[in-house]
Amino acid sequence: MAISLTESIQIGFQDFWTRKLRSLVTIVGIVLGTMSIIVILSLVNGMNEETMKWMTERGGLAKITISNNWEAKNPLNLPNYFSYKEILLIKSLVPEAEVFNANIYLRSNFKYGENTTFSRTIGAFPDYELVEEWTADRGRFIKNFDITESSNVIVLGNTIKEELFGSKNPIGKTVTVRGQQLQVIGVMKYRFIGNSGSNLFSDNPFEYMNRTSIMPISTMINKFGQRDAIDEITIRAKSAEDAVALKNKLEDIVLNLRRGYGIFNVVSAQEEAEKMKQSSMMFKIIFFFISSISLIVGGIVIMNIMLASVQERTREIGIRLAVGARRFDIFLQFLIQSIMITFVGGIIGVLTGVSIVKHVGAFLNTNTVVDVTMIYIALIVSVGVGLIFGIFPSIKASNLDPVEALRYE
Amino acid sequence: MDYVIKTEEIKKVYNMGAVDVHALRSANVTIAPGEFVSIMGPSGSGKSTLMHILGCLDSPSDGKYFLDGEEVSSFSKNKLAWIRNIKIGFVFQTFNLLPHLNILKNVELPLMYAGKRASLRNEIATDLLTRLGLGDRLHHKPSELSGGQRQRVAIARAVVNNPAIILADEPTGNLDSQSGNDILSIFKELHQEKNTIIMVTHDKNIAKIADRIIMIKDGEVVDGDITN
Ligand SMILES: Nc1ncnc2c1ncn2[C@@H]1O[C@H](COP(=O)(O)OP(=O)(O)OP(=O)(O)O)[C@@H](O)[C@H]1O
Ligand SMILES: [Mg+2]
Repeated sequence: MAISLTESIQIGFQDFWTRKLRSLVTIVGIVLGTMSIIVILSLVNGMNEETMKWMTERGGLAKITISNNWEAKNPLNLPNYFSYKEILLIKSLVPEAEVFNANIYLRSNFKYGENTTFSRTIGAFPDYELVEEWTADRGRFIKNFDITESSNVIVLGNTIKEELFGSKNPIGKTVTVRGQQLQVIGVMKYRFIGNSGSNLFSDNPFEYMNRTSIMPISTMINKFGQRDAIDEITIRAKSAEDAVALKNKLEDIVLNLRRGYGIFNVVSAQEEAEKMKQSSMMFKIIFFFISSISLIVGGIVIMNIMLASVQERTREIGIRLAVGARRFDIFLQFLIQSIMITFVGGIIGVLTGVSIVKHVGAFLNTNTVVDVTMIYIALIVSVGVGLIFGIFPSIKASNLDPVEALRYE
Repeated sequence: MDYVIKTEEIKKVYNMGAVDVHALRSANVTIAPGEFVSIMGPSGSGKSTLMHILGCLDSPSDGKYFLDGEEVSSFSKNKLAWIRNIKIGFVFQTFNLLPHLNILKNVELPLMYAGKRASLRNEIATDLLTRLGLGDRLHHKPSELSGGQRQRVAIARAVVNNPAIILADEPTGNLDSQSGNDILSIFKELHQEKNTIIMVTHDKNIAKIADRIIMIKDGEVVDGDITN
């Protein structure tokens, strides 16, 4: 003969409605609490997404870089760069790497016929095009045999090609660099950013790349006598999952090459991303607790108002008990009312939170991500507050003595 | 003797700090099924206290109360709630209706706690209120009704689950004589329908309509068998 849950909800709704104004005032704390949960979580999510996008653009999560560790102890004064031989050794030790590249640089005049210009030349491996996601769109890029044969070949940046050849086809032609003849095998794709196009060179932040030419790293060392001091290697594993193992292996290799001194840093994007995820999780948890404070304050307000309501409605409780309500029915009636108040507060909080996120996000031009999980979290938390802070007043209501409650004025 | 209600030496003591108030010193009453009994006695003699105990709203400090042969003190709180819901209808001097519910909802209340479906509740309560002449007031709040009408609603609420026993504590105490008479005729009708009725009153003329009058004085039943 128990009163059903829907019945209790109905009573709760009636109560809520009879005391509209009070109910609304009561939920302010809950509204603010759930609202801040939504706003903060979506901001953090947005930041995460932004960073992940950025990382993916920078070669993805499978990327590993080896570079100088400037803070390393180096009492034996071991070289803090790699020789070309060492590079080749490392390359041969990690055949599982999908991409492997290291660069050295040369600055020099380029000459073709009467035309002269200045270019920064990169000595690179063929995988340069994969690392930079940039390649020749005319002719071809450097191949493995160019490396083994230290071929006298060069791939020109687009602007360099314009300045030396104008509209003529440069492929197969010979340019002179530091007195040596290099055959042009390709022209790099024109790089620019923005919608301005090729007529606004000075506004293109990638213009320096169009002034860059690329030759085999071996040619630069063997033919041009450029010093083989390489301080950065870029590697890509087959997948983000493989990256961690490969990173550990590379760490061992470079430690062995320098007698166990950590002169080089080996950094995996996957690990960085995980670290970042962890710190953003920490961030989320901290802010979650901050919003919890307003929820707890809201909960205490609700408890007080529910206690006042129990007192005010003592006679009603007495009447209900007199006509056959069980203690549990009374308990449920007040608990459900408390939960309904906080649930409505939660819904209002979520709605205002989402609209704040949408408007402020758009206004500040920050990326924000609202997902269903955090809406659930906010609603569950608000219901939880109603449940926890409603229990005590509800127990108090259900423990009233019928006669005493009826006598209450 | 066949009885529905039987109390043995019921006592009720209220501890008021230094002094004990003996609301009931020794109450022995026996009520037969279908009987209509009036309870009379001076103010403060313990009539309401006795009624509350009989109605399972309160428990005695000492003594035994048998309801249909079972001792009430052994009942769980849920069983007591069930008795208040199904077995005993209580009519108060001050009506005790819920002010924010309309009278239909007020009368539906015991049906709801009895677990009846909403449509059935509505049907039963509407029918009962209509029989009591309130069919055109169903959606009014108690505050929009006269005292007599309110007491009729309270009676409807008390009998809506067809309880075998109806307890009324000065049901006409707050009413003018015309409304009081209307209420009394309802009780007479309920009596004819074989309900057991116990009614507290101050008015000797009203008490006379009962089969029997029980007199209480200073918390003791002094004369329990004045038969009309
Ligand atoms: N909760 C209580 N606390 C203390 N004393 C009480 C309480 N309830 C009743 N009493 C006392 O018990 C005695 C009996 O009260 P009761 O209400 O039963 O009298 P009554 O016969 O119904 O009187 P009336 O005709 O005025 O309604 C009174 O002296 C009253 O003061
Ligand atoms: Mg009384």
